[in-house]
Amino acid sequence: MSSEESRKNILVDDSVAENITRVEELAYELKIREVMERNVRTLDSELKMQSAADLFRQQRISGAPVTKNGELIGILSIEDVIRCLVANDMDAPVTRYMTSKVRTIMATDPVVEALKFFVNTGVGRLPVLDEKGNMEGIITKGDLTSGLLFALQRSIQEEELKTYRASHLFEDITSNRTSLILRYVIQPRDFTHGGTASSNIKRALLRMGASPQIARRCGIAAYEAEMNLIIHTTNGGNMRVEIEPHKIALDVFDYGPGIPDIESAMKPGYSTATDSIRELGFGAGMGLVNIARCVDSMKLESVVGKGTRLKMTILLESETVGEGYAGKKEVS
Amino acid sequence: MDVSQLIDLVSGELLNPDADLTRDIKGGCGADLMSDVLASIQPEAVLLTGLCNPQVIRTAQMSDVSAIVIVRGKNPPQETVNLAKEEKIALISSPFGMFELCGRLYQAGLASLEQPVTDGPSEME
Amino acid sequence: MTIMTLDQIINSLGLTVLTDLKDFKSLTPSYGYTSDLLSCVMSGAKNQGVWVTLQAHNNIVAVAALLELAAVIITEGAMPDETTVAKANEQGITLLSTEKASFYIAGKLWEMGLRDV
Repeated sequence: MSSEESRKNILVDDSVAENITRVEELAYELKIREVMERNVRTLDSELKMQSAADLFRQQRISGAPVTKNGELIGILSIEDVIRCLVANDMDAPVTRYMTSKVRTIMATDPVVEALKFFVNTGVGRLPVLDEKGNMEGIITKGDLTSGLLFALQRSIQEEELKTYRASHLFEDITSNRTSLILRYVIQPRDFTHGGTASSNIKRALLRMGASPQIARRCGIAAYEAEMNLIIHTTNGGNMRVEIEPHKIALDVFDYGPGIPDIESAMKPGYSTATDSIRELGFGAGMGLVNIARCVDSMKLESVVGKGTRLKMTILLESETVGEGYAGKKEVS
Repeated sequence: MDVSQLIDLVSGELLNPDADLTRDIKGGCGADLMSDVLASIQPEAVLLTGLCNPQVIRTAQMSDVSAIVIVRGKNPPQETVNLAKEEKIALISSPFGMFELCGRLYQAGLASLEQPVTDGPSEME
Repeated sequence: MTIMTLDQIINSLGLTVLTDLKDFKSLTPSYGYTSDLLSCVMSGAKNQGVWVTLQAHNNIVAVAALLELAAVIITEGAMPDETTVAKANEQGITLLSTEKASFYIAGKLWEMGLRDV
């Protein structure tokens, strides 16, 4: 994708709103040091107003910090130069017209602090101090805007790159059969973290270029199976997801207590869950029924006292993951 | 209807302010049993529920829910709010009960976004 | 608030009566309530109300009897087993069934004038 196209994307894409939120986030994440101007043109306290005015014109700048022996003592803006011109006092030293009560900002502050300051005061620039109180740079509204835009562009490109890489994962690998295996260990009764594995599975599939429908079906099946491990097993269990270009296989197994009556377990509404589990919103007896709806084939085996194994397969007949399908689809 | 219009309609409080408020809401679903939600809810619905645990967010994420409304002004625990922030799904607390909310949203034109559970595509081996 | 009979509700929503027939025209439910969590129903539903839920578990009868509810509408085609229906008949609770979802049923009842406060 050329830079021209990617810029167009940012302007017209549905994700515009998302990007605005991202800008807000970035304003908190980015530090002043990352967007400030380091190459600061300073004015010596001995300098005459005329020289300062010439410098502003030549360098096309609208203000600069004033220093004495390297120490920040004030700031001179174009408005100060105009005041001086009106007073016809261009031979005066800059110290006479500068603002001496200078507001500064720390290089380690988040960008949002400078944004707030500019909005609230109408002031156009802020000298930036390092941890020791020495001037390290200067920041203007323009620096903020270009810094944020640059960071936004970079973060979008990073996500695009990650998705691109994941969706082309299998493309350049030659083998008789290539697959990616994700493994998760599920703890019993962990209702707080329950669903984390399934959430990661769904995200991985989306990144690898699976359609939202496939990711949803796979996510729901995995989630129900994961919650079954949390609710029913003695010691938790394991989830193993094998992703191939045309097929996703989920294998969920545990070591007890086992299901005494598989036929009943498959019936809608049948549940052995306790009332307290029901009050948590589970145990409606729909889990296995739900899984059956989401997958293309399933196999449930259980031995009481030994454990349970649920194998599920989702076929990707008309699409693939990891072979650049998502990328191709977007282009066409 | 988008999420911000929904918030107005249910006199709700948004618990994760950085959620995406522009997401479209195509219909509603009121339920407290998460398996039922997973079984029947269609994508891009608003989920009305009296449950507050993090599983509500997980369920919403799995079933591509646009927004969640917690009924009766309940305040979900921090881990639920944190998960909503992470997943960027709008989590809204409304002072009204589920019955009232179903009524209001149905009146506002939201369809029931649940389909009856039928036999799935799956075959048993 | 509009006064309506259970008979009107059954007819206009096309509900199936699972328990023994009664004089539904003489019953006028005064409240509507929706929840699938028994603890919420216990604390929130008022007597002579109509409770909308997709739970078909036999505990719903005990809760309905305790709260003296006029009827329970079981949604999404969920079917209580025989013992649950028998227990409901014993306690004089009316169980109604529909293929529709709770959201739709509550929406329609609200439209007909039923409220939860």
